[in-house]
Amino acid sequence: MSQTSLKTRMLEAFRARMYVFSSIVAIMFLVLVIQLINLQLIHGGEYKSKSRSNMESYVPIPASRGVLYDRTYKQGGENVVVVSNRPSFNITTKADKFATEKELYTVLKAICRLLEVDFRDIKKDIKSKNSWERVIIKEDVGFDTVVKIASNQHIFAHIDWEDAPVRVYNFSNMFSHLVGYIGSISKKEYKRLRSKGYKRYQKIGKTGIEKKYDDLLRGKDGFVRRIVDVRNRTEGEEVGLHPLAGNNLILTVDYEIQKASYEAMGEMKGSVVVLKPSTGEVLALVSKPDFNPNQVISKNNYKIFKELYNNKNKPFLNRVIQAKYPPASTFKLLTAIAALETEKTYASKRYYCPGKWVLKGYTDKDFYCYGVHGSNDLHWAIARSCSVYFYQLGYKTGPTSILKYANYFGLGERTGIDLPGEVASFIPSKKWKLKEKGHSWYDGDTINLSIGQGFLAITPIAIANFVAGIVNNGIVYSPKLVKEIRSPDNKKLVRHFEREKMREIPLSPFTLNTVKQGMRMSVLNGTSIRLRSLKVPAAGKTGTAQTRSKRLDKYSQHAWFVGFAPFGGAPENSVVVAVIVEYGIAGAATAVPVAEKIFTTMYNQGYFK
Amino acid sequence: MIGKDSMYKIDYLLVGVVVLIVAIGTLMIYSGGFDPVDKINNGIYRKQLLWFVFGFIIMIGMTIINYQQLGDYSLHIYGILIVVLLFTTIFGSPIRNTRAWLSFGFFSIQPSEFMKLGLVIVLGKFLELRERDMRHFRELLIPSLLTLVPIIIVIMQPDFGTSVIFIPILFTMLFVGGADVTHLFSIIAIAAIALIVPMILTYREWAGAEGSNFLLDFFKDVNMLFIVSGGLLFISLVSFLVHFFFPNKILRKVYVPSIVVSLGLFSSVLIQTLFKEYQKQRIIVFLNPDLDPHASGYNIIQSKIAIGSGGFFGKGFLKGTQSQLGFLPEKTSDFIFSVVAEEWGFLGSIVLIILLGIVVFRGIQIAVEAKDKFGALVASGITSIFFFHILINIGMVIGIMPVTGLPLCFVSYGGSNLIMSMIGIGILINIRMRKFVY
Repeated sequence: MSQTSLKTRMLEAFRARMYVFSSIVAIMFLVLVIQLINLQLIHGGEYKSKSRSNMESYVPIPASRGVLYDRTYKQGGENVVVVSNRPSFNITTKADKFATEKELYTVLKAICRLLEVDFRDIKKDIKSKNSWERVIIKEDVGFDTVVKIASNQHIFAHIDWEDAPVRVYNFSNMFSHLVGYIGSISKKEYKRLRSKGYKRYQKIGKTGIEKKYDDLLRGKDGFVRRIVDVRNRTEGEEVGLHPLAGNNLILTVDYEIQKASYEAMGEMKGSVVVLKPSTGEVLALVSKPDFNPNQVISKNNYKIFKELYNNKNKPFLNRVIQAKYPPASTFKLLTAIAALETEKTYASKRYYCPGKWVLKGYTDKDFYCYGVHGSNDLHWAIARSCSVYFYQLGYKTGPTSILKYANYFGLGERTGIDLPGEVASFIPSKKWKLKEKGHSWYDGDTINLSIGQGFLAITPIAIANFVAGIVNNGIVYSPKLVKEIRSPDNKKLVRHFEREKMREIPLSPFTLNTVKQGMRMSVLNGTSIRLRSLKVPAAGKTGTAQTRSKRLDKYSQHAWFVGFAPFGGAPENSVVVAVIVEYGIAGAATAVPVAEKIFTTMYNQGYFK
Repeated sequence: MIGKDSMYKIDYLLVGVVVLIVAIGTLMIYSGGFDPVDKINNGIYRKQLLWFVFGFIIMIGMTIINYQQLGDYSLHIYGILIVVLLFTTIFGSPIRNTRAWLSFGFFSIQPSEFMKLGLVIVLGKFLELRERDMRHFRELLIPSLLTLVPIIIVIMQPDFGTSVIFIPILFTMLFVGGADVTHLFSIIAIAAIALIVPMILTYREWAGAEGSNFLLDFFKDVNMLFIVSGGLLFISLVSFLVHFFFPNKILRKVYVPSIVVSLGLFSSVLIQTLFKEYQKQRIIVFLNPDLDPHASGYNIIQSKIAIGSGGFFGKGFLKGTQSQLGFLPEKTSDFIFSVVAEEWGFLGSIVLIILLGIVVFRGIQIAVEAKDKFGALVASGITSIFFFHILINIGMVIGIMPVTGLPLCFVSYGGSNLIMSMIGIGILINIRMRKFVY
């Protein structure tokens, strides 16, 4: 009996335990179902989009960037293409596509060997980015390389490629400062421009026309939606958005004049600007030393970029708009204008030049001329650039009047040229001197001012624009580099830029004629005599700027020439040329020959007919 | 011997459900074996079908002999399997750095799968014999040793996932076999304390969690843990001695928990100091794959994406992007459930879970209704094999269990597991058939 009851008791205990076991099983199954509900029903949408982003890869289709032509552009004709594009590819990857770090580095090592890229650089690049960010392994790769990668996906898993047309600067260094170059958008630029639809992977104009007109040139990128598997093999693809090409630009620059200016400067340091006074159109703009934009734009050539960047000659500096020099004798034109506008009779006033002039005062001070010029009137003083004459003329006219006219011509401001980074020229004032130097305006300052030395610091574009104002009888237009915006296929004229009047200076015809005459005589029998043999009557003014370099603690000279042609012609046909050669030997010797070559080319091109 | 009429007692429900599950599994293996880029199928679903036919024949075979004879030969079966397992571990052909396979040319078998059944049989026999003494703590020793031997051998292969499964089988059978619940809970509690404390500390440190509180500071202080552990040990010894001479129920409630906590803390200190940081981190990645999106965490993240993106109706057969495009790893073996969930959605997953649930509950029913204790124990052991594979596998792919690499019985690709499962079903049918025969 007890045996049976024990058996029954044990059977009951066993059954109870089986119930517990089944309950545990039931609860666990319930837990599985709850988690399934959680994943599939509650968070289903979230996971759906995750699975989509797993298999979809959006590959941007870069918009074709606008092409740049020179001013001779004719629709349908054979045109001078200054900047264009050529098809090419970038090789890219994303770290988060790899299951393990080991796999990532194995594949990277293989691809770096193929592309001849330093593995360490790429590794550093990847570590500096988020794992979902695309990393460019190499830019500007040919189609054959892409085929190699595509047909070896088992080795190069997760290595991607994308269309990345490369900008081609057809004349290399010749247009470097004018057109500028493009580069990857920097973190700072991205922050500023993100709201305008700029993307992190895009390129952006960094300097020159490329920067100034970036929003016109860039167009709008499209994208391809690719379905890929885990090995990144493409399953299918469709265009999500077609790209919109950027607008083309017709420059005001004439290739032939640009070329002549570029070649005339040779290896000299300095700059040239050629412009049309009647419209402000810039026909040529050269700054030396220069750089090759084709080398600068490639990520592969970062070392070249760095070398240029650190070069002490500053090849990236656009000396036409970013370097300021004392205007030296070119400023004598302004002294003459100020004097004549105050007193006409100064035109025939003669001063004797014995080689120096003494400023009488508490202590006498000598001011020297670079030669002995004898007795001259104003015309000859301009032609021969006699400083003694201008010391006295300036002294008589006084600083107030000279500075007033300098301000009329806007010599203390930016010219408003359509290039980024232009610096404002500088003309002093009595107030400024007291504030900055702690002294009142001395007579000596006036003497220096009247021959363009002392505190003056003017950019070549400002000097050119000043003379353009003289040629154009007091009307000054703002210089510009772009004539027209055309549609991507060139068929439609989107916009024609009209000339933009900056200022109108009331100058008497007598003053203008006297100064122009003086400049003409400089060519006929003065400092610019080298231009006398030109087939076009030219006029001009040389200058020799003396600067004292604080860094090197030594004096140096910069050679100026600014002039125009044809003399006596209508302003509409005239062209102004301004040249500065740094460390040149006096204007006449180094700057004038540059101008001579430019004028000759222009004559041959039919500019003066 | 069993008469002809008892053939009518074959459990057609169980067989039918198993056939359905295998059919689902084979379809999923077909789907998972399809390469969308190369447009070819790797054809392993045919092999699975072959294994199933083979397994079905063995299953029928298993119903013919009397299951009680398995008990008579339980030690032989266990012993032979241990020897084969040991042989495999030493001389087996390494596949993915694991010596778990015995290769026979065109096919290979995984002895550790059959070891699961061998353990169930030997434990069933032992527990049947000691049925009346199971309330004593000492009776836990031999079953534990019988379980520990295959665990150690399988860990040496090394196959961590398979070795883990023996423990819940042991506990289920001890529980069903009548072991003292306090004993079982104490052992589980000690293990839990020993593992959870260092895991939490490592996790917080690794995940860069800020701040501290009294409890965390306490667990971080190894000396303090030693003192507390020693103190509790002392308390338990004293109360045990007092209890020994003056039996008292309240004292039992003192010394049992205190020795459990003491041993737990002591082991946790051992784990804290003996295990290297990366080893502890690896276990944490099992628990929270988001911490390490590469490596093992990657699989779980992709699996959850596959399952979640299936939604209610699924993406359609052969249309699961996660599996078809290869984002889902091990899609025909460990992660096959994710393919079901992705292509057939919540609907398909629930159907599969219900079918699997029918197998488990039928197993429990067979155990309850078995005519003898051995049958009941073996049936519940086999059921626990199925149940814990289901729980751990599905739990893993849906992200609520650590990654252990166990297959889903009847569904995952793999001959050894399928045949083992079919043998298990055969034994269950056998036990059920003979409940009517006295």
